[in-house]
Amino acid sequence: MTSRGAGGAAPGIVAITVVAGTGMAAVVATSVGLMPLYGEPAPSLDGWRSAAPDLVAGIGESLLIAVPATVLAALVGFLLATLMLGGGRAAAVLRLACLAVLAVPHLVGATSVSLLLGDGGVGARLAARAGGDGWPALVGGSWPVATVLELAWKESAFVALVVLAAVAPGHRMRMQVAAGLGARPVQRLVRVLLPTAAPAVGAASLVTLVYAIGSYEVAWLLGRAVPEPLPVLAFRLFGSIELTDRPAAAAAAVTGSVLALCVAVPALAALPRLRALSSGGAP
Amino acid sequence: MRRVLPVAGLVLALLWLVVPLAPVLVWAGAERWSYPDLLPGAWGVTGWRDAAAAGLPFALLRSLALGLAVAAVATPLGVMTGRVLGWRLTGRPRLVVAALLVPLVLPPFAVAMGLDVVLIRVGLPELVSVVLLLSVVAIPYTAYTSATAFARTSPELEAQARALGATPRQARLRVVLPAVRGSILVAALLAFLVGWSDYVVTLLVGGGQLVTAPVLLGAAASGSGNDAAVAAMALATLVPPVALVTVAALRVRSSGRTAADRLPESVPPEERMR
Repeated sequence: MTSRGAGGAAPGIVAITVVAGTGMAAVVATSVGLMPLYGEPAPSLDGWRSAAPDLVAGIGESLLIAVPATVLAALVGFLLATLMLGGGRAAAVLRLACLAVLAVPHLVGATSVSLLLGDGGVGARLAARAGGDGWPALVGGSWPVATVLELAWKESAFVALVVLAAVAPGHRMRMQVAAGLGARPVQRLVRVLLPTAAPAVGAASLVTLVYAIGSYEVAWLLGRAVPEPLPVLAFRLFGSIELTDRPAAAAAAVTGSVLALCVAVPALAALPRLRALSSGGAP
Repeated sequence: MRRVLPVAGLVLALLWLVVPLAPVLVWAGAERWSYPDLLPGAWGVTGWRDAAAAGLPFALLRSLALGLAVAAVATPLGVMTGRVLGWRLTGRPRLVVAALLVPLVLPPFAVAMGLDVVLIRVGLPELVSVVLLLSVVAIPYTAYTSATAFARTSPELEAQARALGATPRQARLRVVLPAVRGSILVAALLAFLVGWSDYVVTLLVGGGQLVTAPVLLGAAASGSGNDAAVAAMALATLVPPVALVTVAALRVRSSGRTAADRLPESVPPEERMR
């Protein structure tokens, strides 16, 4: 097609490039001492050195939150989409509920989950009423359970809607053809629905994973104090009264960005292969 | 058994989606809720009064203004980009798609942290900086939503309007835009949600000066200990976006149903469903 009119994309692309490029260049420069808040720039790796132990722990904690949250969101999201594919009024109610959850700000979700799973929360009250020995520390405990559940809860609605949009057109006909060819319900699910939904599940899971790696407020509100995931570590150091902590904060931010890129770039490269496999064509 | 499984699945699905929000709904109306009671001992509006005293009404207005500003900036930029992608007006669509992926892949807190240092030196007002950064975060959503709409609309529409004597501007504003109006509204809604819901960028770049509803909620939830006030703030922050999305979804559903009803009977059910 002609490239006439392609200039319409320029303002948006320029805005993204300038803002994201400037932000990332500045945070990298800050991490190596080239953009101090006060004083003369002095190249140094002190920020990286001082933050190194926390960065390693932060990468581990970020992945400990993001990977289970993504797996759970993908699994539940796929199941929700499967239910919605059945059609009818129930599917419409479910779709509306998914849309509503999608619109809930993560901070509100985290607040509500803390009132549900925290000490003195609804879960603890139910356990106490049932005569339990005590409520486990799901909020701020030794495992980031509440953080994972909040992210999985909200992102499962996102996965479900993405999968529904991708699979719904022609779904009934595909199922009828498969049934006509003698496929049992389980075979239809495994051999028809799963391959058809795989690219959408993969793409939505990638967005969820990258989002969870960069998410601040949920882990900050529901997570444990030590170790901190990278966004929480970066934010804490950024707000420190010690100006020397700024390069360390920037180092944590750069590490978070590199981690997100390391996850996203190979996954983006693999997505077309997944799509080709599902359509039966060559990658 | 065949009917029990879908019903059980539906009930479990609704529980998964609704239960996490239940504590906020109950706490927002609780006057007193002693442990380990399962329901509040007294109902009332003390939480709302405390939330209002903490500045909730103005925080909601600031969130509204921020959401509208982000929608006002990100929607036209996204629509222009979406038109290029949807109508394949560029020879390098991968470049455009790659640029649109940047705000989705890079953590907003990292970009905000870097920009904060730059903006302090440049002297740009905090509010402008927050709107600019959040608009960039929202552009991929508005662009992809618009691209889908343009892909469903023939570029011939604009050409026909031009052939009938419309100027390029008239053809776009009076013919093409009305054809993709629904999707543009959805795109604007998504951009509004980015502005309304944001916490970390507003706090980092706004430097604590721009107290929106999420910023107020974050401060209260992390340390006030007043669960009723926190729940009131959370509910007030939750209702506008959920109501907007619900209304938009119902409108889209009803207009889709009307369009399907207009299809001739000879069109197969599968095509009607599409």
